[in-house]
Amino acid sequence: MTVELLLQTIVNATYAASYMALIAVGLVLIFGVMGVINFAHGELYMAGAYVIVALYAGSGVPFFLAVFAGLIFVGLLGLLMEYGLFRPLRENPLGGLIASIGFLLILQTVAVLGFGIRMRHVPPATQDTIVFMDGVVLTYQRLYVIVATVILLTALWLFLRKSKFGWALRACAQDREAAALQGISINQTARLAMFIGAALAGVAGALTAPLVAPTPFMGHAVIITAFIIIIVGGIGSLGGAVLAAILYAFVYTFVTTIYDGTLANIVGLLLMLIVLIVKPTGLFGAKERA
Amino acid sequence: MTTKFALSLVNRRDFLLTTAAATVMAGVSMPKITFAADKVVKIGFLAPLTGEVAAWGKPGLDGCSIWADWVNADGGIKIGDDAYKVEFVAYDDEYDPGKARTGAVKLIKEDGVKFVMMLGGDPWPGVSPVSDKEKMLFSTLLPSDLTPETKLLVAPCEVHPIYNVTGVEWLAENKPDLKTAVIVAQDDSLGKPSVATYLAAFEAAGIKVLGDPIFFDPATTDFAPIMSKMLALKPDIICLDTCYADYVHPLTEQAFQQGFKGQMISCTADFYPKMVEKTSKEFMEGFIFQFPDFDDPALNAEHVNFRKPNDFFQEYVKRFGEGEWSAVSWEYASIMDLWSDAAGRAGTTDPEKVLEAMQVGGTGKQAFGEAKWWGKELFGIDNALVGLWPVVVIEDGKARIKEFKSIPAWWDKHKALMIKHMEALNQMYYQRS
Repeated sequence: MTVELLLQTIVNATYAASYMALIAVGLVLIFGVMGVINFAHGELYMAGAYVIVALYAGSGVPFFLAVFAGLIFVGLLGLLMEYGLFRPLRENPLGGLIASIGFLLILQTVAVLGFGIRMRHVPPATQDTIVFMDGVVLTYQRLYVIVATVILLTALWLFLRKSKFGWALRACAQDREAAALQGISINQTARLAMFIGAALAGVAGALTAPLVAPTPFMGHAVIITAFIIIIVGGIGSLGGAVLAAILYAFVYTFVTTIYDGTLANIVGLLLMLIVLIVKPTGLFGAKERA
Repeated sequence: MTTKFALSLVNRRDFLLTTAAATVMAGVSMPKITFAADKVVKIGFLAPLTGEVAAWGKPGLDGCSIWADWVNADGGIKIGDDAYKVEFVAYDDEYDPGKARTGAVKLIKEDGVKFVMMLGGDPWPGVSPVSDKEKMLFSTLLPSDLTPETKLLVAPCEVHPIYNVTGVEWLAENKPDLKTAVIVAQDDSLGKPSVATYLAAFEAAGIKVLGDPIFFDPATTDFAPIMSKMLALKPDIICLDTCYADYVHPLTEQAFQQGFKGQMISCTADFYPKMVEKTSKEFMEGFIFQFPDFDDPALNAEHVNFRKPNDFFQEYVKRFGEGEWSAVSWEYASIMDLWSDAAGRAGTTDPEKVLEAMQVGGTGKQAFGEAKWWGKELFGIDNALVGLWPVVVIEDGKARIKEFKSIPAWWDKHKALMIKHMEALNQMYYQRS
């Protein structure tokens, strides 16, 4: 592997780690606080991408304004899910999981009816690139994803550590009943977790829409990757999800570049299996909770 | 009130005389055949209408709707003494063999179709037993489905992926300074025979393929690592093989974003105006592929058999929008030209008799010119119609046919290479399961 290819692969992996982390952290947050595995998380990512299709590509709304709209819209979709699906099934995690599968199908169908079955093309907000050296390039469109991830995850970390709402979320994640006994509103924290978790998936979809050509079924691959990441990181661990996203993205990208993508998929799954065998709670599952 | 008013103006005798005269006139002017309103022949359309491969199904069905409207407006197709309206019955196989099998049974048993058009590829193994059992004639766009056993399967339109040799041949003739290439393809039944074809074509053209062809998982969403790997080999040519549109676009964008300055060649470039939009006219200049827009003036050449290609394209754009034209928009319609012609000559819709009429004399009118039924050496059966194929190049943001080249002529010179590479990738008919 040449130096140029090594550096370009690091750039590629950094981008991949960024959007994977956004999605996985949202999934972990929802699971941590509400105890629900949200199978529709990939479709929330898809919904964010389609907000860009509708507003930016379709109506000429400025890209970052459309991304913000995607964040809000998908966050509101999360609230809808919490209120309509997960709250009535709060004592039944399996019911919540099945309801999320149903919601996944509804979102896919709405996307098909609204935008058609085929991929949609979203022009990049800019075609500018940063050329580090000959053969090592980072497009601004990818840089946006990396920067947004750093900003959003830092903000989330500060929110969870420094604000009363954040403490409430963490308390619920650790022990929902004890948190309720302390006067923390379970409904309110669940709403908050759903909004933030969904919004993170939505913003990931919105930011990557020009890079992936949205389709109604784009959530499939994403949700599988997100599950691998949160299992490796430790279900319920936000820090674990971020580190696992970085680990997975680097392993996947390097194996794809050196060998091929099929082998990279196998290695990714092997990584998950090894972690499950050696440390069934995931890399950070036992030590750190949201 | 209306009835009373009418009767006050027309007496009974006048009414009877007028009616009788009209009946006689109608009888005189009626043709001797029963018209389309009375009889309908149903044709099955079994292809992916949803999912990643939908771009090679749905636009074909759209093209068929134009074909049917035009044919039906002209009175239908004449089979024996009767004229039949044509009705397409579609079933979405989602590019899945199980669903394709269900669809084939439904189309034949419930809908009573007389002929089934498929994209082919992965779904064909699911359908093959149904074809055998029901003695139904099927068509595929992918002759790699053909084997000596598939006697009722024809590839009468495109001989994928063999026509890709024409693009490489043209490239070598017109840009002889380009000497190295890398190939990338999705790892499936479309990608592999196409890779073998490009390997043979590049070898025949004296172009060296750098490294092994890169096969990627069809679930891939981020193509940056794949393109980085390709560019690290510093090729003159990037070959996108027969990648689906969902992959051709991001791969092309990645090539652009990662600074590739060389030549690109691909089997298809569906919805290429979007690629131009996402890259640049300059980057896409000279992009070679194999499927023309049908507004191309070159399609008005005498040897082209497709009827009114420019009008067809205009109608397609009018109905389905700019940029919706794809590689298959015309293909299923062109197969219908062959089938309706053969059914007309056979005087029946019986599948075996239609096939016999289609292949009489060993030649046929393929969309781009006179062609021959061929394939024994490659597929074990002469059920592929092969002749001329266009080489298309993007110039100033628009696809234009540069030349029609002969596939049989290439085959006669280089068939040993093709068989060698097909065998190496286990794609010969006797190697496929």
